[in-house]
Amino acid sequence: MPEIILKNVTKKFGKFVAVDHLDLRIESNAFITLLGPSGCGKTTTLRMIAGLETPTEGTISIGDRVVFDADRGINLPPNKRDVGFLFQNYALWPHMTVYQNIAFGLENLKWDKQRIGNRVRELLEMLHIESFEKRYPSELSGGQQQRVAIARTLAPGPKVLFMDEPLSNLDAKLRMDMRTELKRLHRDTDSTFVYVTHDQLEAMTLSTRVCIMETGVLQQYAPPLEMYSDPANLFVAGFMGSPTMNFIDGRLHADGTVSFGHLAASFKGPDGFVPEEKDIILGIRPEYIHIGPDGELPATVYSTLPSGMETTVRLEADSLALTAVVFDDVDYPVDSKVLYSFRKAAILFDKASGKNFARGSLDRPHAV
Amino acid sequence: MDQAKPAKSRALRVLGQIRSWLSQPSNIILLFFLIALTVLTLYPLLSMLTETFTIHTGREARAARLTAGTLSMYHFERLFATAENDYSWIQFYQPLLNTLLVSIAASLIAIFFGGTVAFLVTRTDLKYKKFVSGVFTFPYIMPAWTLALFWETFFKNVHIGLKTSNGIMASVFGVYMPEWFVYGAFPIALVLGLHYAPFAYILIGGILRNMDANLEEAATILKTSRGRVIWKITLPIVKPAMLSTLLLVFASSMSAYSVPVFLGSPVRFYVLSTKMKSLMDSYPGQAYIIVGVMILFGVSILLLNQKVTNSRKQFTTVTGKSGQISKIRLRKANRPIAVLLVILLLLFAVVPLITFAMESVIIKAGDYSLKNMTLDFWIGTHLEERLDQGDSTGILLNPKVWNALGFSLALAVTCALVAGTCGILVGYGVARKRGTRLAGWVNSLSFFPYLMPSLAFGAIYLAMSSRIPWLRGFLLLSLVGSVKYLPFASRSGVNAMLQLSGEIEEAAVITGVPWWKRMLRVLFPIQKSSFLSGYLLPLVSCMRELSLFVLLVPTSNTILTTMLMQYSEKGWAQFGNAINLLIILVVLLINYLVNKLTGASIDKGVGG
Repeated sequence: MPEIILKNVTKKFGKFVAVDHLDLRIESNAFITLLGPSGCGKTTTLRMIAGLETPTEGTISIGDRVVFDADRGINLPPNKRDVGFLFQNYALWPHMTVYQNIAFGLENLKWDKQRIGNRVRELLEMLHIESFEKRYPSELSGGQQQRVAIARTLAPGPKVLFMDEPLSNLDAKLRMDMRTELKRLHRDTDSTFVYVTHDQLEAMTLSTRVCIMETGVLQQYAPPLEMYSDPANLFVAGFMGSPTMNFIDGRLHADGTVSFGHLAASFKGPDGFVPEEKDIILGIRPEYIHIGPDGELPATVYSTLPSGMETTVRLEADSLALTAVVFDDVDYPVDSKVLYSFRKAAILFDKASGKNFARGSLDRPHAV
Repeated sequence: MDQAKPAKSRALRVLGQIRSWLSQPSNIILLFFLIALTVLTLYPLLSMLTETFTIHTGREARAARLTAGTLSMYHFERLFATAENDYSWIQFYQPLLNTLLVSIAASLIAIFFGGTVAFLVTRTDLKYKKFVSGVFTFPYIMPAWTLALFWETFFKNVHIGLKTSNGIMASVFGVYMPEWFVYGAFPIALVLGLHYAPFAYILIGGILRNMDANLEEAATILKTSRGRVIWKITLPIVKPAMLSTLLLVFASSMSAYSVPVFLGSPVRFYVLSTKMKSLMDSYPGQAYIIVGVMILFGVSILLLNQKVTNSRKQFTTVTGKSGQISKIRLRKANRPIAVLLVILLLLFAVVPLITFAMESVIIKAGDYSLKNMTLDFWIGTHLEERLDQGDSTGILLNPKVWNALGFSLALAVTCALVAGTCGILVGYGVARKRGTRLAGWVNSLSFFPYLMPSLAFGAIYLAMSSRIPWLRGFLLLSLVGSVKYLPFASRSGVNAMLQLSGEIEEAAVITGVPWWKRMLRVLFPIQKSSFLSGYLLPLVSCMRELSLFVLLVPTSNTILTTMLMQYSEKGWAQFGNAINLLIILVVLLINYLVNKLTGASIDKGVGG
């Protein structure tokens, strides 16, 4: 299964730089997500790899073939790249039946009728849409249309499958179902998936690696859990995870203590970490703020969002406003007093650059 | 060596860019149309401009005392600044004033009438709505002169105009209408206004129908009275459409030719278009100046219109969630209004047809008894033995008529095919490359012929054809028709393509479907009805076209519409009426057939 390599790829629309000097290596068999807010260049990147958009600069290769090279004037058309593309609004041809939609691409590959029929039936079965063979797209629900679109894309057996926010038009429950199926499909089809989404949860749950972008610039490219626990900068930290990470203004001192709000604590960094005096932003995931009778610091409950499985609690502690998550079906009365403590990891971001420069833990914060 | 290397790679790079640019069909299409449309619109325009400075052979050379072919400002001085015998006043300023007067009056009539009906149909519980909205577009489908000819036939009498014969009003009811009522500014403005009222109806009604009812409901919830809602919410939203209608009808009326010919010429009431036509034979230089003036007017008005509709708040007319608008209840007024409207519609949509049929079968004008009727003018032979003027056979047995009908049909079909297909291609290119400068240019160029009055457009092609010997006859007519009707087709093409998301085509690109197959198998079938209306509009317009071709046809017998003009000028009323009826029936038939076969309908396009 092919590996995809992007080198120094830039795309400009007039003066606007959509993608800025992007280097990316997508291993074979990977499930990669391009993640970022709208307008960050993720869809443009996907379309450039597929050949639907022409880059301004750089080279792109799929497997051992160079499919685009600005300097050598190479630009393979999309159909020669042996890829599949699943569109956000499915792009099913409304005047063709489900069968015709799936078969149309195969007819172009000059397959014989028998073989086309077999392949279409195989896909219909695989995606559980056998009974809709003769229907038109408008006669199907969103989820069924989605399956037809997937079947159509998979029909020629592409080695690489591109997906542009394919689940964003589905309702929450269907989206959940389709996620599991996509992940299974990735395994069954044994191909490389490149997936665009702005939903960090989708990126977290589906992919083997996440490529997070902002304003055309790659921010971090790492496996999802690594990205979650050790985000490269403030943007990534804020984008990954819901509820969002707590960001607290503070200061790191040369003796290794961190002061923030009315609190201070000594920071235990990684091996070889040398503290220096500077302004920082302290990042703490909500689940690392523990609420309970064994807590060490007092706070007031500002509001709560219980969802059954977990409860998000907004706390006020002197000048600090903190978000905590409690994994239980509990609720706290508003304005009640609780005890809390910081657990496990905390990250120090450089306030000036926003970069993550140390990941460690806080030791017994106390009021000063 | 070191220097050669980057140069070579740069060349490779540029070559690659060009190759990948050309590998996209949309780019090739846009490039082709950029060149073709530049040649087909700017070249004739330049030829026309040159003509205004050139002294032509014949009367012009003699009057100017210059050798033919000299370049001079003579025509401008003569037309604009000759006080002698009021020459400039009679030849230019008076017709200009008449044109402005008639056009303004016509646009106000059209807006008032069309807008009122649009409001009644979309916003009230009016009775017979189906009938009203069905019949209301009739006058727009029929040729513009239909109503004019009807007006003349109905009201003329022996005391006025050419003083030839009495019309129905005089002979049947004994009422002799005054001249100002039958000929001149009043009937021209009224007839043009009525002809373009459906246009106002389509534009304003379209907005009213698609307007999100939530907008009005929101006001109603806030305890706004019904009247205030109309005044403060509905009208302001419709205002851009009204302004647009005003400008478009003004521009169309200004360039109208057939109506002022029928209702103005008999009393020497001239507007710019008729004046231009009458100057063309003897003083082409001055005629071309008038063409220039008409184009200037037309272009500036329509540019103003685009500015109005684009830059001002062009309110989005996206259909909202609530389709159920609470209709105003007319209560007791309902039936009287509905009946009045139906009578009015019958009067200007159905009665003319009956009148033409009647007038084509009576032998002696003014006598409507059965004794005085004959089908000779349709199917008679050896007529010269019984009549002192006219053809020797009825029109259905006359090979000249059949030839003209065949020529008209061939021309209409050719123009429709060329314009319609080009319109789709332009639409494809523009929609795919939206936002690029090339697409913008092609889009504007393809709309440019719309800005030019038909008669003037015919005139500039006349000027061009005088320089190109092989551009004659059918070729010239179909070329001018195709270019002139391209805007209709390209508008519907662009709209249809913009409605299709690019992904629909990309899904086929990915699987390697070649371009022509994507067009035929994917894009065309999806937007079939919009594309077909891009073919239908040129087809119907071409069948009833007079002003565009009148300067260009080799002889008056060439196409049906000019033949009608010829007969009517000769005073062969019965033959003329029969041919007129034939044209109207053919147009209605084509419209009906296309509508039935394809579901495409005339009111889907821009109209004009």
